[in-house]
Amino acid sequence: MAAKNHRQWTAEPNLQMNEWVDSRIYSDPQIFEEELQKIFKKTWIPVCHESELPKPYDFRTTSIAREPIVVCRGPDNEVRAFLNVCPHRGMIIERRPSGSFLEGQPSGNPKRMTCMFHAWQYDMKGNCVYISREKEGFQDRLCKEDVGLRRLRCEVKFGGFVWVNLDDNPKVSLEDWAAPAFQCLRKSLDAEPLEVFHYHKAVVNANYKLWHDTNCEFYHDFMHYHNRVTGFNDAYFARKNEAFDHGHVVVGTFQVNYEKYEGFESRAALSFPHLPPNQWYMIDLFPGMNFNLRGSALRCDIVTPLGPDKVMIEYRGLGLKRDTPEERMTRINHHNSIWGPFGRNLHEDLIGVQGQGTTMLPGSEPRRILHGRHENQTIHDENGMRHYYEEWGRWMNRRPSKPDQPFSEAIAVAAE
Amino acid sequence: MSWTKICDASDVSANSVKKVDVNGISVLVVNYGSGFRVIPPLCPHMEEPLEESGIVARCTLTCSKHLWCWNMQTLEMQGETEKPLKVYESKEENGAILANIENELTYEFEDEGGADDDDFFK
Repeated sequence: MAAKNHRQWTAEPNLQMNEWVDSRIYSDPQIFEEELQKIFKKTWIPVCHESELPKPYDFRTTSIAREPIVVCRGPDNEVRAFLNVCPHRGMIIERRPSGSFLEGQPSGNPKRMTCMFHAWQYDMKGNCVYISREKEGFQDRLCKEDVGLRRLRCEVKFGGFVWVNLDDNPKVSLEDWAAPAFQCLRKSLDAEPLEVFHYHKAVVNANYKLWHDTNCEFYHDFMHYHNRVTGFNDAYFARKNEAFDHGHVVVGTFQVNYEKYEGFESRAALSFPHLPPNQWYMIDLFPGMNFNLRGSALRCDIVTPLGPDKVMIEYRGLGLKRDTPEERMTRINHHNSIWGPFGRNLHEDLIGVQGQGTTMLPGSEPRRILHGRHENQTIHDENGMRHYYEEWGRWMNRRPSKPDQPFSEAIAVAAE
Repeated sequence: MSWTKICDASDVSANSVKKVDVNGISVLVVNYGSGFRVIPPLCPHMEEPLEESGIVARCTLTCSKHLWCWNMQTLEMQGETEKPLKVYESKEENGAILANIENELTYEFEDEGGADDDDFFK
């Protein structure tokens, strides 16, 4: 069929209901607000890596679904998370992106989180330890013991990542939620401490799910010139996308022939523990996190949705904490040559989703976005996305292809 | 009893403080105008380094964080101050400040309490 008129262009494709989605799920402000409430405030989100707060009193600040969060390491070495909000007048407590509470601040004491507004202070367990002129203002009506920071569920798991859940009573534990998907790499990630050696972020004018879609399929290797000309081979096409409960997908490994990449070298010498040389696993977690291990370097993407058409993606690169300086330099080189801002393909991935975002601004006419490739669940199959959107439909109680209709388990099952 | 030289009296100008390391022990020398005191470097309230937060005026050392203050001559607590200041025995001799620092003076600070068990979120 040739070009389409408006009626043809907006008609439903001749595919199963779960093989396309309505583009409004990438652009509608109301759907976006619902995603923050129904998904991001209810699920486990990795906010950083424990190596980014290595010493007692180290902290990082972040946010989930617009809620400001401070993560800190206590004198007992435990990592805890709190809302970064003073219970007095709602002031943000810590404004720096990271640092140490041992460093003196004009308004702050060592070893305490201090709200600069009225000098209320909190310890690393979130207890309020000081209210300025407490008795004078509150007499005995309110005291330190009556206030405190809002503590959040926080666990260090799966290779030392710090996971936070805004929901005190999540539907599943972090272990049950992600352990099956991490199974393929867990031994390697937990064998010894890891360390973040690379951090950069991108703010892209696109919906966060578009980024996750790109991480869930390798069909877009046609965009990556270098992957296309040197990466395609039988072993590559045999890689499987495996679906796990809770919307996660794992792209199975194969041995990468880095020697065939122009200007690359084998990564065998620095492969992560317990792995054959030059393996490449990828774990895509609902609702938008990615763990990508290419032999010697681990990459982690964490998305923070900023609006229906805006997402911040934080990229971290990790190696083994015990790396010698030489090993670390090699590992950084391995990481950056693929995934650095000027690496082999990361910037191309960003061009891809930015281009999609350009056509799906809020208010754009709804269109169908096709997720209908079936290739025996191998690398160019789009089963990973279909699996993701089934889970998305469940959390949102919206049908991804017809978001005004409630999600139906029966339709999802029948379609697959 | 052994007197150790901490610094020269001229190293600490009037109404100021100076932190000095003496054989691995940090002390704070306070020149309050009409005399000197040698004290531990932290405020007994909430561990504030007095080198940064201490203000000396009219014979009084004030921690500027929460306004705990002590008369430097009598060591009397003033205002809302709830804990006494510990001092090393010290004297001025031939332009030098000497102190007896056989044992480091420290304060007891409150441990971080609070529930931290699995039931916290239930």
